[in-house]
Amino acid sequence: MDLHDLTAAYALDALDADEAEAYEQHLSQCEDCREQLAELNDTAASLAFATVAPAPPPRLRAAILEAAAAERSNVVPFLRRRWVVRGLAVASAAAACVVVGLAVALSRPSHQHFVSLGLTRGANGKATLTITGLDTAPQGKTYEAWVIPKGRAPRPSGLFPGGKPAVVHLHGVPENGAVIAVTVEQAGGVRAPTTAPIVTTRA
Amino acid sequence: MNRQLAHLSDEALVVLAARSEESALAELYDRYGRAAYGLAYRVLRDPVLAEDAVQEAFLTLWRTAARFVPERSKASTWILTLVHRRAVDAVRREQRRRTDSLERAAEPSVEGADEDAWLRLQRERVQAALRMLPDAQREALELAYYGGLSQSELAERLGQPLGTIKSRMFGGLSRLRELLGEPGTEMSWTSTT
Repeated sequence: MDLHDLTAAYALDALDADEAEAYEQHLSQCEDCREQLAELNDTAASLAFATVAPAPPPRLRAAILEAAAAERSNVVPFLRRRWVVRGLAVASAAAACVVVGLAVALSRPSHQHFVSLGLTRGANGKATLTITGLDTAPQGKTYEAWVIPKGRAPRPSGLFPGGKPAVVHLHGVPENGAVIAVTVEQAGGVRAPTTAPIVTTRA
Repeated sequence: MNRQLAHLSDEALVVLAARSEESALAELYDRYGRAAYGLAYRVLRDPVLAEDAVQEAFLTLWRTAARFVPERSKASTWILTLVHRRAVDAVRREQRRRTDSLERAAEPSVEGADEDAWLRLQRERVQAALRMLPDAQREALELAYYGGLSQSELAERLGQPLGTIKSRMFGGLSRLRELLGEPGTEMSWTSTT
């Protein structure tokens, strides 16, 4: 059995348990296979998007978050205890403050705000998008606005960095009923969206 | 719209999830829960088993997020791989393989809410790329990925040597990768309905 040949089957989860185990051992020694597998994994995962299925029931989200919180409550008190012990062991009050500050920073993200998207149209049909509540895009990334006419491909319609209320004059004239979406993309923008939209509205 | 972490990349959310930040897990679910459920439902053809598979996958993410290496994989690929593995394990365990994955008649309709615009586009794009594959390659990919068949089961079912099945799967995935990567394919995002 040539193990190099199993990369596609592994990416599709189409190997029996012992074949998969043999391939995984091979993987730890074969850089070429690791690279090829990373590519084929992305492609295999894209097949998930081609499915047609009903929306998941809302209770599924709640059940997952509840189970996750229950698991965390078994772990976090232990960590907090350790921090307290360490805080007491350190004589300096300043050092204790640093530890407390870290805990707060980890448990409370600083981006507690609403994202809002407003669309206004000029007399010429051109549209202006106003976005508030988005932090500055991560380094090397940009926000990209899209106009998605019904049943057609998304049209790249402008880039903005976020961080303060942004006003984007959309390229072209958005069709009535088109979806306006914003995604995070590589700096410089892309021709077709590669990530899920963070906010949408309708023209 | 209240999406506190909406501006973060998927990978940044996994890093937060590794620090037991529940809102990061919620945001990842909001981005990929629907695709995850769609995948599990397609493989398992059972809403209850599909829910179980998605829940187990997201909890595995929650427990092992610290081990995620963003340089090696996209977070979305990781999540959907976890879901697929769970679903395939379940379908093999239950011995209720559904090999009717080529039949589309029974597929439910999907409503087109605003939030689903991106998912709808992804679906159309991947479906269009799949349609461009040679029949034999598409059949191998669909029976393996959606049907949960192993390569040996595929060889038996299709009456082909294992080597032929392997090359159909490899050829199909490689061609699909090219099709999805070509800027031109965005033209085929045009709805066929």
